[in-house]
Amino acid sequence: MATFELYRRSTIGMCLTDTLDEMVQNGTLTPDIAIQVLVQFDKSMTEALDTQVKSKVSIKGHLHTYRFCDNVWTFILQDASFKSEECQETVGQVKIVACDSKLLSQ
Amino acid sequence: MATSSTTTSSVYIRVIEDVISKVREEFVSGPGENVLTELQGLWEVKMMQAGVVFGIDRSASKQPTPGITPVHDLNVPYEGTEEYETPTAEILFPPTPLQTPIQTPLPGSTPLPGSTPLPGSTPLPGNTPLPGTADSSMYNIPTGSSDYPTPGSDSGGNTDVKGGNGRPSPYMPPPPSPWMNQRPPLSVDVNVAYVEGREEADRGTSHQPLTQDFFTMSSGKRKRDDFPPQYQNGGLNNIPQQDGAGDATSEVSQKSDFPGMKIPQLDGPIPDPYDDVLSTPNIYNYQGVVSEDYNVVNTPAPNDLQASTPAVVQNDVLEDDEDEPLNENDDDDLDDMEQGDELNTQHLVLAQFDKVTRTKSRWKCALKDGIMRINNKDVLFNKATGEFDF
Repeated sequence: MATFELYRRSTIGMCLTDTLDEMVQNGTLTPDIAIQVLVQFDKSMTEALDTQVKSKVSIKGHLHTYRFCDNVWTFILQDASFKSEECQETVGQVKIVACDSKLLSQ
Repeated sequence: MATSSTTTSSVYIRVIEDVISKVREEFVSGPGENVLTELQGLWEVKMMQAGVVFGIDRSASKQPTPGITPVHDLNVPYEGTEEYETPTAEILFPPTPLQTPIQTPLPGSTPLPGSTPLPGSTPLPGNTPLPGTADSSMYNIPTGSSDYPTPGSDSGGNTDVKGGNGRPSPYMPPPPSPWMNQRPPLSVDVNVAYVEGREEADRGTSHQPLTQDFFTMSSGKRKRDDFPPQYQNGGLNNIPQQDGAGDATSEVSQKSDFPGMKIPQLDGPIPDPYDDVLSTPNIYNYQGVVSEDYNVVNTPAPNDLQASTPAVVQNDVLEDDEDEPLNENDDDDLDDMEQGDELNTQHLVLAQFDKVTRTKSRWKCALKDGIMRINNKDVLFNKATGEFDF
């Protein structure tokens, strides 16, 4: 199963990465097993988003920068608004990084 | 909001459990299950600290099987994190100490070579040590220099001052032994007094206090003037010659005068280089060092507010060291809007795209399975549609 390392940059992914870094530096963990944990996180996070999350969000804003490289879209929006059932947020600037969903199904 | 954050938290907790359970075999056959427990605890603590997971929910509802055990696990990791954090904090604070060592090295290293050579041979080496000591060690130089004349040897004064300062305890040992012997009492007393005053004043401003002290002796104009007076103080007998040099102010005249006198000769070479070196490079360096530190601290703040302010700061920093500020500023220029009150907040959406289309300047995209970090809150979505104007 293919996975994205994309979600490692999320809060939960960063927390895990920091934890693994500490434990590897302590000598508690070997780098190999730390990588295995990260790979498992990639799978678990992707699966959880696919199966456990049902909410929908609409995003609007001024597109400041767009980039498509290596099958990854990157958008930088200005004055972006996010709307979902529960919340509405507005930010001056936001970065969107999106991988090609079709790569996962391969 | 409450709903979304709650669901986010629960999803995160389930992800954590899923990951932990699926790597358990690896740990059992490897580092052991205790390590896995530690990993989970640390991870969860970090998540709670990040405000994206609520520990209560987890311990209460999530793990019925282990029951109480999970609570223990949570606590244990907590301590672990604190341990890690504490060192970090210490490391952060040290910057002040770090500066001291950096500065001290200059005086310590330079003075040794400089002091010895000073009397006999070349003015250049002597120059470096003197300024270095003065700036770094809190402008002890003047004191040291004044001391020189009395006993007859220059080096003793400098080292004593350094040692007397008490600042660089580490540095104390090496220089003291040779130098201290020559003139312990005088230099120590003077140094202590000066040091105290100067420390308060700080390095940057310290010049003035020194000047003031010496002002009484001399007219007290500039550094050059100050130094000559100091020498005068030390060797009262020689007053006329030294005065002449000081009055003359010109480097050449000073040199010529000193060679003529026996005692002055040693002093003579020192002051000249002092004036030149001190006035230009040393001051800049020290100011630069001090300013760097402050700049680094200050830089973040200015960036948020204004682009112009950081630019000014950059100039100083550029000469000295780090390019990081530049990069940050560049980003700021590009990103303009982002720098609001929230530096730490980096709004980020991580997702997969199903489709991205563009019609003229209007972009539409369909995203799925995303994690959004918006305004310090994590929001998950299954589907998202984006409409952007370029």
